[in-house]
Amino acid sequence: MTANSRRLLGLLVFGVLAGGWLYAAHALWQTSVPSNLKLPHVDVSSLVSASELHRAQHFSFILDLFGIAGLVLPLVVLAFYAKWGHRFMGESAAGPIGTGMLLAMLGLAILWIAMLPSNIGELWWLRRYGIEKTGYVAMVLSTWSLLGAEFLGICLTILIVMGFARLLKDRWWLAGAPVFVGIALLVTFVQPYMSGLGPLQGHATLVQAEKRLAAKEGVGNIPLEVENVGTQTTAPNAEAIGLGPSRRIAIWDTMLDGRFSEPQLEFVVAHELGHHKHNDLWKGLGWYALFAFPIAYLIARITRRRGGMAVPLAVPLFLFVWFAFPTAILPIDNAFSRRLEANADWAALQATRDPNAGQALFENFVRTTNEDPNPPLWDQILFGNHPTDGQRLAMVKAWQQRNGG
Amino acid sequence: MNEHPVTLHVMDDLRRSRLTVFFRFLLVLPHLIWLYLWAVLVDIVALLNWLVALIIGRPAKPFQRFIAAWLRYATTVFAYMFLIANPFPGFTGEPGSYPIELEVPTTPEKQNRFKTFFRILLVYPALIVGAVLMYATYFVTMLAWWAAMITGRMPRGFRDLGANAIRYLMQVYAYLFLVTGTYPCSSPYVGMSLGASVVEEAPAKKAPAKK
Repeated sequence: MTANSRRLLGLLVFGVLAGGWLYAAHALWQTSVPSNLKLPHVDVSSLVSASELHRAQHFSFILDLFGIAGLVLPLVVLAFYAKWGHRFMGESAAGPIGTGMLLAMLGLAILWIAMLPSNIGELWWLRRYGIEKTGYVAMVLSTWSLLGAEFLGICLTILIVMGFARLLKDRWWLAGAPVFVGIALLVTFVQPYMSGLGPLQGHATLVQAEKRLAAKEGVGNIPLEVENVGTQTTAPNAEAIGLGPSRRIAIWDTMLDGRFSEPQLEFVVAHELGHHKHNDLWKGLGWYALFAFPIAYLIARITRRRGGMAVPLAVPLFLFVWFAFPTAILPIDNAFSRRLEANADWAALQATRDPNAGQALFENFVRTTNEDPNPPLWDQILFGNHPTDGQRLAMVKAWQQRNGG
Repeated sequence: MNEHPVTLHVMDDLRRSRLTVFFRFLLVLPHLIWLYLWAVLVDIVALLNWLVALIIGRPAKPFQRFIAAWLRYATTVFAYMFLIANPFPGFTGEPGSYPIELEVPTTPEKQNRFKTFFRILLVYPALIVGAVLMYATYFVTMLAWWAAMITGRMPRGFRDLGANAIRYLMQVYAYLFLVTGTYPCSSPYVGMSLGASVVEEAPAKKAPAKK
């Protein structure tokens, strides 16, 4: 085979792979929200008081600043670590993989120290607005424990990456990416069993409504369970979690403290059932898989300049790109997440046919979460993994217009 | 006097990295998981080894080597966790790779069948002494952590106390798992060697000579 025909074959393979990638991305991007749906303008100031609106805007702006620090600071710290982290190799008496693990853990440890002031500041802000109840010492201790879990996670990552790199050299990503997707699949499946969920007691009407809605949506039996977080936060939330037999709807006890009416809670449950109905967790995994391969490939290419992932010298650089790539694709990840959430909102409207409950719920969110209902565009791009409350209210209005509600 | 088949060699220079000392109890987590998983296998192997020793009068060589590697590894993990050594240990228990090293016989010795049969009962007194020593080491490590964070060095007394506790515990395990028929010795002078490379006090850095 000549050099030209090899190049041509390479281009052909790349073209087929890129085409497959785009097709898969396009398929995952589709939702059941009518494509011709026009969201009407909603004047949020007519729905919540001016003082509530001002408070939400002020709160969100400062919270965004902490959010930006949370994005930028790790990149800066890990960029420095990528340059000088190899100096810690002398702290290890282990072999290459063990030394790689130590370097990765120390990188995260330094990051934990660097992030501590910002995390404390963010907690102060959330406590000031009554969103968080956790004390400062408890927060430091809990992030310390989380760091232990992160250490174990990064050690497993390094074991997989360096293990494959020692076997397959620069082609480790071909084996590594499927393993990471497999781990993500496993974590999604077992999450409901690890979340400390309990049976929902004292809300028989809601449980009955969930069963009725589940039957209507044709999703089978999905248990509705409660997650007790009321001692740490006042923020309301619910989640669709699990896959297949582990599917659950987890509702935070903060939603059951009387601030939300029964129809509003039913709307929330219908939203989460919408996620299960449209297989959003599988779609999320598909989306992760779609990026896992190119990101692993790019990491393999970039770390080649430090000798490749078979040697611990490359680990500090690996850590930097391991953080940098997900940050770089955050806008597109958020856009994908917003589409899934909008889809679930639409499913909730279709299932409950109760736009008044939807409107009351989203207005209530502005009051209980203090989030800006109409944040600036950059805020949505960087942090918006749900449509804004303004957009959600507009969708309710659009549904009403279509269905004469 | 240094006669015990299971001997701890200490070749540590007392210098400590503040960063790794600060995070030591988290950095050791992957090792603790690996140590535990390995220990599950060691328990099974030790039971088989016990049966073999009862039948042929001495442990099987592959079992002996397997358990000996675990003992060497456990020594490095405990040494790292209790600040008795500075570097991050390897995961294989390879000899000659760590400043705190356990010398364990890898060739099985003939053992009395009667004592082998009752080994799990015979080891009890030594296990109690070992547990007391390890509790003392936990407490001392808390103090040593502060000392190492402030001075960047491990106080020698703390280091030697911890090293002795580990040495004794490993002798207990070696006796329990039939690696040796010699009973653990509580004397700090038996089964312990301070290597030639030990630097008791960090040498003061010499100022470059002015010309």
